[in-house]
Amino acid sequence: MRTGASLAVGERPIRPSAVEWQMERGATQADHEATLLARIARRDATAFETLYDRYSRAIYSLALRLLGNPQAAQEVAQEIFLHIWRGAGEFIPARGSARSWVLSLAHHRTVDALRRQRVRAVEPLAEGDLGAGGGADVVDQALRGVEGATVRSALMTLSPEQREAIVLAYYGGYTQQEIANRLRIPLGTVKTRIRDGMQRLRGQLVQGEEER
Amino acid sequence: MTHEQASELLAAFALHALDRDEEQAVSAHMQSCAQCQDELASLREVTEQLGSAVGQVSPPPRLREAVLAGIRSRPDVITLRRGWVVGVAAAAAVLLLVLAGLGVSLSRQLTALSARLAAQERVLALLAAPSARSVPLTGTVAAAVRFVYDPDRGLGALVVSDLRDPGRESVYQLWLIAGAQPESAGVFRPLPGQPIVLPVTADFSRYQAVAISVERAPSGALQPTTTPVLLGKL
Repeated sequence: MRTGASLAVGERPIRPSAVEWQMERGATQADHEATLLARIARRDATAFETLYDRYSRAIYSLALRLLGNPQAAQEVAQEIFLHIWRGAGEFIPARGSARSWVLSLAHHRTVDALRRQRVRAVEPLAEGDLGAGGGADVVDQALRGVEGATVRSALMTLSPEQREAIVLAYYGGYTQQEIANRLRIPLGTVKTRIRDGMQRLRGQLVQGEEER
Repeated sequence: MTHEQASELLAAFALHALDRDEEQAVSAHMQSCAQCQDELASLREVTEQLGSAVGQVSPPPRLREAVLAGIRSRPDVITLRRGWVVGVAAAAAVLLLVLAGLGVSLSRQLTALSARLAAQERVLALLAAPSARSVPLTGTVAAAVRFVYDPDRGLGALVVSDLRDPGRESVYQLWLIAGAQPESAGVFRPLPGQPIVLPVTADFSRYQAVAISVERAPSGALQPTTTPVLLGKL
């Protein structure tokens, strides 16, 4: 990397201080992630580039897991980063960590993309080849993609019904209503499974959190 | 939506498993409910971990290029009609070009329209200002490029009448220079035989010069990596 590209063009230099480009401003400093989002909200492209390097793998991997297709995952990842660029000002540090905000935004946009895909494909939700299990294949497949040991074992502490509902929602991108249709069970049952399952997962996964 | 209804749906909200209407209703309730905000924050710690647990795959490098290009691309570049003027010398001629450009740009797609109209409004206001100044950019390449700006109102525009194509692998990047600190004002590519205008809003009292360097396509650089090819003193 060159460090002193000169500005001295033409016969009249402006003044000595304007002659040197200042290179790589602040690129090495370790930014706190919340500060990073605050800087992005002020349209700081260096901060955005740092954020990209920190999150692109996590965001792309999540999109790829849900969408199952590299091309679609790249498209949605690009959309997610544009949302972060435009919406960084909406992040409020008092309401959670920057990482949870970024991953929630990424999941939301990816699920939206997945639902657009399904609308185009006109997937039959309640009948046809889904069989009696309704979600078993999706759940098995999604669980195979979960490589984090802590999350895997936390999911295994759930009842199979809770696990199924949460996996279909988070990794399958299905709404509660769609899950009820798929599994042919009442919506209220799905709601209870999701609520209780998330409580239990929180007890397992969130530090200092007592199981409720 | 009552607090009880909303809090019942928070887990599904965090999982993005609500229908759009329900989601909006929960979202609206959340604005004014600190308890639900706290609850959501802790549920998001769970979904964050669910999201982080998937097998990690690096995206292709071109994604980085595309994302960074996306935030640097200027939607407000005004394209002027081919053949009107080559080698603009005076602000009056620029004004004619801009007026001619209005008709052209209006027919362009709606998405970029409002940005362009706002840009054109700014450029027209700039050219009408008695305090407007115009400086030619000179340097190592033959070019007809000027920077027109009104220091009183912080409006400016780069007028590129003639500038050679930087090649497929490169773009031109405009910099405002404050002391030793160049700040990017966006990347652009000249169109053959077709002047373009890039509006720039800034406090010009902070800057001593404008410069153009050749940078890597499509997104340019955060800081210049090459010696500028054109420079104009403000």
